Amino acid sequence: MTGRLHPGLIAFAVLVYIFLMGPLIIVIGSSLSDTTFLTFPPQGLSLRWFERIFEMAAFRRTMVTSFQVATLATCFALIIGIPAAYALNRYRVQLPGWLSTLFVLPILVPEIVLGFSLLRSVQVGAGLPVFSTLLIGHTLLVLPYCVRVISASLASFDFSIEEAAISLGSPPWKTFFTVVLPNVRSGVIAAFILAFITSINDVSVALFLTGPGISTLPIQILAHVEQFFDPVIASVSVLLMFLTVAVMAVVERTLGLTFLTK
Amino acid sequence: MLKRFMGWVMSAPATALVVLCLIVPVGATIGATFTTDAGPLGSYLAFLGSGFRRTVLWRTLEIALLTTVFSLLIGFLTAYVVSRAPARWRSVLIIAAVFPLLTGVVVRSFAFLILLGRNGMVNNALVWLGVEGAPFPMLYTQGAVIIAMVYLFVPLMILTLVGVLENIPDDLIQASSSLGASPFQTFRQVIFPLAVPGLIVGAVLVFTGSFTAYATPQLVGGESVMVMGTFLHQQAMVAFDWDSASTIAAIMVVVTLAVVLGMTRIAKRLNPMST
Amino acid sequence: MAAPLSLEHLTAHYGTTKVLDDLSLDVGAGELVSLLGASGCGKTTTLRLTAGFLAPTAGAIRLGDTDLTRLPAHRRNIGLVFQNYALFPHLSVLDNVAFGLKQRGMGSAERTRKADDMLQRVGLADLAERLPGELSGGQRQRVALARALVIEPQLLMFDEPLSNLDAKLRVDMRVEIRQLQRANGTTSVFVTHDQEEAFSISDRVAIMDAGRIRQFDTPEVLYQRPSNAFVARFVGFENLIPLTSATRQGSIVHAKGDGGISVVLDQEQLGAVPDRFTLATRPDGLRVSPDADAEGIPSTLGLRTYLGRAYHYQAETPAGHLVAAGPLSRPLDIGATARLVPELEQCCILPAEEAP
Repeated sequence: MTGRLHPGLIAFAVLVYIFLMGPLIIVIGSSLSDTTFLTFPPQGLSLRWFERIFEMAAFRRTMVTSFQVATLATCFALIIGIPAAYALNRYRVQLPGWLSTLFVLPILVPEIVLGFSLLRSVQVGAGLPVFSTLLIGHTLLVLPYCVRVISASLASFDFSIEEAAISLGSPPWKTFFTVVLPNVRSGVIAAFILAFITSINDVSVALFLTGPGISTLPIQILAHVEQFFDPVIASVSVLLMFLTVAVMAVVERTLGLTFLTK
Repeated sequence: MLKRFMGWVMSAPATALVVLCLIVPVGATIGATFTTDAGPLGSYLAFLGSGFRRTVLWRTLEIALLTTVFSLLIGFLTAYVVSRAPARWRSVLIIAAVFPLLTGVVVRSFAFLILLGRNGMVNNALVWLGVEGAPFPMLYTQGAVIIAMVYLFVPLMILTLVGVLENIPDDLIQASSSLGASPFQTFRQVIFPLAVPGLIVGAVLVFTGSFTAYATPQLVGGESVMVMGTFLHQQAMVAFDWDSASTIAAIMVVVTLAVVLGMTRIAKRLNPMST
Repeated sequence: MAAPLSLEHLTAHYGTTKVLDDLSLDVGAGELVSLLGASGCGKTTTLRLTAGFLAPTAGAIRLGDTDLTRLPAHRRNIGLVFQNYALFPHLSVLDNVAFGLKQRGMGSAERTRKADDMLQRVGLADLAERLPGELSGGQRQRVALARALVIEPQLLMFDEPLSNLDAKLRVDMRVEIRQLQRANGTTSVFVTHDQEEAFSISDRVAIMDAGRIRQFDTPEVLYQRPSNAFVARFVGFENLIPLTSATRQGSIVHAKGDGGISVVLDQEQLGAVPDRFTLATRPDGLRVSPDADAEGIPSTLGLRTYLGRAYHYQAETPAGHLVAAGPLSRPLDIGATARLVPELEQCCILPAEEAP
């Protein structure tokens, strides 16, 4: 759709985008501050707060944990989500309609309720270790993204291609890897990225599932902000933004950004 | 024959995970609210009997509702501009909406601490302008929570609605103007009605998201603007009153599911392109 | 290499719906047989059963000496050509064609050589490195054909392979398919809903309806001598006229039906005529005669349409609504009464239809 837009509308949209970008720019600016308190515009420029992040053991440790959890949870969710998405598309007639709803339940149920319930039943009730419970929570949290994104790319996959491969002598399980997966590659990449970002940014589930010595970066940021108000948080935030930019660059490269409005 | 059950076999691991680690634990949480010492409905009566708890619930609903209304207004108008912008601009504007969305909730809420604090940017600017009474207390107010949440959800709304608006065929808009409708009339009588299902989807996402939010109210609202999310955490992890926490959790689930189911039903009925 | 295919008493269900009902079919070695019918008649189900993508609830499938019934699809050695080509989008044309050879454990050099040869035969040698997405519909069809042929299958099966092509290409491709099939001598089954396509390409055609084969014969016999009302209607015998009594004089038969229907038939032309039967004609096989007291079917003429070589009339008769042809030289108006006289060389005799 193109056509003439009312100048008032355009001005409004410009203001909205300033509103969207402004706070992020302020965070970036604050991270470069030379002072020991948070202020904007920064008084004196330095990168000392970026160095501080890595000097603080709590940030180093939680960064590693967040990375481990995000990677493992995403991989687990893909390992169980890809076959599920495949089944939902390939065996649509034999599977009941509620099954696809089941896989989006983790989005439907409030994250904070999921976190609390996992603490109650799995960590305390079943006595699972903190890290395992956290991993289960995040696998659940990102599963809907994996199933839905891969389902979307399987929806445009023509299953007669799979039959063609089988008729040419390829066993069904092998066909899945040689013919089906290569054709939904972009969906798998997108699912990986969305899941990874969702996991690394999560607060509400991890909130209940961290324990002595095990915490994630966002929880550590929250805890830090409540005690100190120094620019190190701004620096950590900027690091996370860099991660986002890097991810967006990958998405743009492999899929094009219009993918994200679908 | 194995083939008949192949679909079940392949979806079994994911199904098992959701059933065992989501439905069972959440079910147990909700179930626990009916078996407290106070009798089957005792925990709910206690919740509604307490003035403070009622206030938290109403405040959360109010914040969620206002956040939804503002996000809808801002998101729809912006999405309209984005969808009608020239292609090159459109992709820039979409990237600019995706970027905040992919940035974490904590980072984005934290920005408002810098902005709205007593020595924050907004207050400094007001003092510099010589505004009477500045600096004002802005942080830890309900207004601050709403602004921060609108900020949080507008990108989501823009992206949802750009998708919807781009799906409206150009033919319809041309047909409308060929029949003598002005651009405003076309907007009001063709584009808006076709966008309604998308608006409902967006509204559901924003409402449920802000009703159950934790990080933003915690950072920007603190103890003085307690909402359901922060209250649940406080009851569970500070007061260690798990019965009370479970009751809050159950109320959150019920409200969320009611909104999702109710609104998707309405959206389905209103969708003019579905039949 | 060529092996006969034999389907024995196949029954198949989708859930509780019976989609194939005790179907038997024999395809001779090297023969091309079409399964022809409207959608839902069971032709695609038959193909999918044979390919191994569905399992029959009863019956057996034999190819040469092998019982295929319980053999997994990937071990059946059947070449399939799909309606939408089903080329692997992520593989080059050459890799698409070589795919089946790779599954058979053939070395890389040899399969490239064989695939190249095959592409040469279908005239696509210079497109070997392209991806399927870069090809036209006709080219994709050729790749699909090459891919199915290169594995030297015992049986080739085509599932509506031409329906995505435009009319001109469709005719060219079916000639090409027939030539390749003849040259290779591969037993083939061709599924289509297009009568002209089936008749032009096949040695024999099986006309299917509601999960059964209604008639299985050469195109010539099917077109001239349908054996039942369904097939007759299918091949264009629109007029079915029930006749209830017959008197004979040598080879000549006078047959009568309800409402003053009276026709004269010659057994030398039509074969043995029973006492009760249905006479089937195409519109061109039923001539409008304004002569009121001649033999024939009394009728009132309705709408007249111009077809270039003749007029067609919608006619109301005691045998119901019929379509008849009249000469261009004498157009008749709506409401005129006339007799409709069958042209014997364009008629056929069907067994009397069961009373409804």
